[in-house]
Amino acid sequence: MELANGLVAECLQNEPAFCSVECPFNLDVRDFIGKVQQGRLSVAYKTFQYAVGFPGIVTALCGEPCKQVCAMKDSGGAISMQLLEKASVDFARNKDPEQYNMPPKDKKIAIIGAGISGLACALRLTTKKYNVTVFEKSDCIGGHLYKLLSPELFLKDIERQFKYERYTLNFNTDISDIGNLEYDAFYVATGKGGNDLGAASGKDGVFMGGSLTGADTMYAIAQGLNTAAAIEKYVKTGIMTRPEGPSGTKLLREGLQIISCNTVLPANGNAFTKDEALAEAKRCLKCACNACIRYSPLMNYFRKFPKRIAEEVEVTIKPMTLDGNGTVATRLISTCNHCGLCKEVCPKNIDVGEFLLQSHRTMHDQGAMPWAFHEFYLRDMDFSNHEAALARLPRGYDKSRYVFFPGCQLGASDPQYVIKSYQFLIERFPDTALMLSCCGAPAHWAGDEAIHDKALAQIKTDFIKLGNPKAIFACSTCKQMFQRYLPEIESDFLYNVMAAKGIVPARKFKEKIVSVFDPCTSRYESDLHKTIREMAIGAGFHLEPLPMEGNLAQCCSYGGQVAITYPPYADNLVKTGIEQNNNPYITYCANCRDIFAAAGKQTWHILDILFDLGDENRVSPTVSERRYNRLRLKHQVIKEFWKETSIMKNPGKELFISQELKKKLNKELIIESDIYTVIENCEQSGRKLFDPEAGTFSGHIQIGNMTYWVEYRVKQDFGIELINAYGHRMKIEET
Amino acid sequence: MSKIRKLICYQCQRELELKKTDFTYLGHSFFTEVPRCPECGQVFISEELVKNRISEVEMQLEDK
Repeated sequence: MELANGLVAECLQNEPAFCSVECPFNLDVRDFIGKVQQGRLSVAYKTFQYAVGFPGIVTALCGEPCKQVCAMKDSGGAISMQLLEKASVDFARNKDPEQYNMPPKDKKIAIIGAGISGLACALRLTTKKYNVTVFEKSDCIGGHLYKLLSPELFLKDIERQFKYERYTLNFNTDISDIGNLEYDAFYVATGKGGNDLGAASGKDGVFMGGSLTGADTMYAIAQGLNTAAAIEKYVKTGIMTRPEGPSGTKLLREGLQIISCNTVLPANGNAFTKDEALAEAKRCLKCACNACIRYSPLMNYFRKFPKRIAEEVEVTIKPMTLDGNGTVATRLISTCNHCGLCKEVCPKNIDVGEFLLQSHRTMHDQGAMPWAFHEFYLRDMDFSNHEAALARLPRGYDKSRYVFFPGCQLGASDPQYVIKSYQFLIERFPDTALMLSCCGAPAHWAGDEAIHDKALAQIKTDFIKLGNPKAIFACSTCKQMFQRYLPEIESDFLYNVMAAKGIVPARKFKEKIVSVFDPCTSRYESDLHKTIREMAIGAGFHLEPLPMEGNLAQCCSYGGQVAITYPPYADNLVKTGIEQNNNPYITYCANCRDIFAAAGKQTWHILDILFDLGDENRVSPTVSERRYNRLRLKHQVIKEFWKETSIMKNPGKELFISQELKKKLNKELIIESDIYTVIENCEQSGRKLFDPEAGTFSGHIQIGNMTYWVEYRVKQDFGIELINAYGHRMKIEET
Repeated sequence: MSKIRKLICYQCQRELELKKTDFTYLGHSFFTEVPRCPECGQVFISEELVKNRISEVEMQLEDK
């Protein structure tokens, strides 16, 4: 998959930190510091010891090149790596190296020069049990370290690191020609100005390093360690390679969350106490690219980076590629809100949302996506596009310049939102048409292209019928859908049109502090953000910004319609949304408004303020009321704007449902009209069960793929009382 | 487990009895014993069964 490859190729998740790249030893500073942060200094020491070979010597001579690139450099001071290294050495319980029990290898390696670079190479090779012989022209080991450190310090460290390893050491042996020596490989580390013994000419099996090549002490040790790996490769394969050294990093500084914090100074002036080491380590950001994990609600919740998501999705879409549990990401694919925040915050603009959308479509095409995740919403869309749909020119016009497209959920929340807005528009642009239908987002999110294409075709037909007008949207999701799938249709936002026509908010507030919650699909609509804020200020509000607003807008949980797929995720998203601060919110998306209000957050829709409609505590309509509101809206506009008679169908016998039961049905997304259909079926067919003790009837039918059960009591002269209702996805094979 | 409710099939006037019943979901089929009319086979699934075992199996199959 091209998109999956892009995800993996572009992602910076595994790029090394800036400091590690500068370190001669490529020390994994994130790993080392992480261990210090946890107070595990002995474990941190092991990491350091393995990376540098001689921890005592390196700690004493470390030049801290990492400090030059440290992200904290200008935010309280670069991390004091040398002191942290020293602390790991000072507080490690066991400073001895690991003892490896491996069989000896039959390859013989000669090292010319017992300076620290030669010894580093010898250390690595002897650890791997190669037969190593060191030739030293003088009568001591350590080379130029004598000029830098007290012999006691470095000889003790060398002795300790070789505690479990053996090699042959020949003092007073000046090698001037290696031609007569029978070894499988050579490391020439004869020191500054020494004899390279032909290594510089690239002779097979002859490597060189250390001060001989102009390296300083740290690089000399690192070269010795790295050359050991190159030698091992050579003796195994015959291939000469350059020793691996530090490589670059593609890591970007943008997106790092830097919190200024002053460096910790050792109280005794030269070494950290354990607590000081921990405090200094905690300042380290462990620089890594993780903006997606920090910002994207999906990736944060599942703690998965793009690469991991790509891998899991790949095996889910192609289950034959993995034995056993192949469809690991089915629910993950269907849990994306498609809010676009991951792409926005990623320094490489990796669009995981689009990848999941394409994957969702593939799964849908394969019939592998459980129908239950989206059926409720697709039925709701179907309702909007049929029973509750309308596309009409105003009276006396045969074409329109504008059409008001409020979207399916605005009228579902409160029919007055649509009626008042249309009234406003038609008074200023009398030829404005009205379209009540859905933009197709539920089918887009469900990955159901067939249903989506059908919805789009109907919209196109209606637009032609209305004279190809410019669309005026109240919902930013509708606008996003039109821009993607019907780009030929010109559009603007209702609120921008209202502002241009000088709307004055009908409600006034005195210095009330609120925050504007931008819907996620308005992310790149900066004009709209400005308009809404100006309207709120015009109504007397004092605005406080939210951490996640404007181009960082976070989904309220409605996007992608994920509540059936992963209820705890959706609940968590609502919680993080409303807890951004304690102010009441103003929003301009009916779903944000109703979801937050249902969760107890005081939330206005901007139209509440402009037209003096509901207050911030208005109870959100249930799923059944949302349908009823859409029907009511349709009939009301026909009466009010077209002056025609429109009578809503009477459902027949009256159905009594307690408030408590209504709440339950709403939570379980059970529509009262479906309940009515089940009861009607029971009553007309007689296919029902009787509970003589309770005096109630029970019955079920399948609607769509869902099976709905009802328990009810027929009340003489009073219609029907619903006792309980529930549904399941499993189909009963009754025949 | 709560007490099994006494239920009577309205059409056949017969009390329901536990009988093997087949279910399908997402291409998988399985069976269990649930109350059924011994004559016409009309089934009863309690909310308790739906909320526990059935929804559990549904979830498992969706993630399979």
